[in-house]
Amino acid sequence: MSLGVRLEGLAVRHGDAHVLERTDLELPAGSFTALLGPSGCGKSTLLNLVAGFARPTEGRVTAGGEPVRGPGPERGVVFQHYALFPWRTARGNVEFALKRLGLPRPERRRRALAALAEVGLADGAGKYPAQLSGGMQQRVALARALAAEPEVLLMDEPFGALDALTRTRMQTLLRELWKRRGTTVLFVTHDIDEALSLAERVVVLGGTPGRILADRAVPAGPPDPELRSLIARHLGSG
Amino acid sequence: MHATPSPPGRTRGRPGPALGAAGAVLVLWYLLARSGAVAPGLLPTPGETAAALADSARSGLLATDLGASLARAGQGFALGAVTGGALGFATGCLPGLSAAVTPVISFLRPIPAIALVPLATAWFGIGETAKRLLIAYAVLLVVWLYVHDGVSRIPVSHLRAARSLGAPAHRRFTEVLLPAAAPALLAALRYGASVALLALVAAELGGADSGLAYRLQVDGQFLRVDRMFAGLLVLGLLGVAVDLVLAAIGRRFVHWSAS
Repeated sequence: MSLGVRLEGLAVRHGDAHVLERTDLELPAGSFTALLGPSGCGKSTLLNLVAGFARPTEGRVTAGGEPVRGPGPERGVVFQHYALFPWRTARGNVEFALKRLGLPRPERRRRALAALAEVGLADGAGKYPAQLSGGMQQRVALARALAAEPEVLLMDEPFGALDALTRTRMQTLLRELWKRRGTTVLFVTHDIDEALSLAERVVVLGGTPGRILADRAVPAGPPDPELRSLIARHLGSG
Repeated sequence: MHATPSPPGRTRGRPGPALGAAGAVLVLWYLLARSGAVAPGLLPTPGETAAALADSARSGLLATDLGASLARAGQGFALGAVTGGALGFATGCLPGLSAAVTPVISFLRPIPAIALVPLATAWFGIGETAKRLLIAYAVLLVVWLYVHDGVSRIPVSHLRAARSLGAPAHRRFTEVLLPAAAPALLAALRYGASVALLALVAAELGGADSGLAYRLQVDGQFLRVDRMFAGLLVLGLLGVAVDLVLAAIGRRFVHWSAS
């Protein structure tokens, strides 16, 4: 299950400061798009607009044709710093997402454990976030977001704080989960190689105010050095 | 099935050093009282203090005073903690309200509770109402400060995560805001309890017919230094006991936080 997302004439200004210039973008249902750009280019702002955490000054966002008016469970979010609840165990964090469904307790518990198993964290279910490494915490956050069965998954530099090895593992896991579930993914990153290895499509955002500098499909198969240098040039031109 | 591991951040003070220090103080106290360095009758020995304490326990005076003081401090504390906590949550969540309320409280906070005793007496007389309100007021100010600070520091990502996971407002309050503010709330209650004792003493010195601080004043007029020492000892022990209880409750409910 997945929904398409459309950004229609989206613009954001804070007083006189233009953060995001009029932007149109369509994320087809089930697609995996990386939003690439330097810090402060407005890519997190754009993600927050889709999540419903912020309102655009102009234009609108639709998900599955419905205008976005605020946060909603059909649009799951994975945050850079995990945003796990430290007073709940890994399982408790996932169960938080499941409560909405009104399931009986044993079923909720079973589903939470299954979601944790899906991200390779079956053994850590009873642990508190403070007892887990950064990579494990982000696995819990991913399990929590997916347990709510979102149709769009919004990820804001989710692996930015992880070491290189953990990061590669998480990227592999995310690819697998996406292939299995077919959720529409919008993945914000400032890492060009991460964008190219994960996504089917890379959208480069940059400049002041932020605007789309490039929009390229990423062909399947081994990495294409030409595409990489092309995107790197666009990144540099912002 | 997963065994629940012991939650992180659970550290418990060992009683050894504290008992050792108390013993050393008792010995030094005894030696000083016996040395003659202090004029006779002005510094009782630990034994004389214990005798005075036993005496007031036997006569029932201790129970009367302790009961009166605990009732005042407890009622004032409860009233102040509830109102201060509610106000702290409100100003911590609503920046507009905070901008209006914070300057007022910042002005009131540095005024010592004892300075308000004459005013409280003028307004409410020397009865229990004045004392309870004075204590509640002092507790409200510190509890508001701690809770306001704790609530306004709750990471915005926690609330955003809860909203995007479809949690309605009542769940966001009970399952996110309350636990996220719990460490600050606990600190607020511990500090508030100590302030309640301070305000209690100020309130009783302003006029009462029973209570630990009232008794201190009476004993002072008769220069009963042994009784005064006994009264101070009870006040100190009361403060320690209340803090230990609140800290234990905190360890039970706020196990994820180191403080």
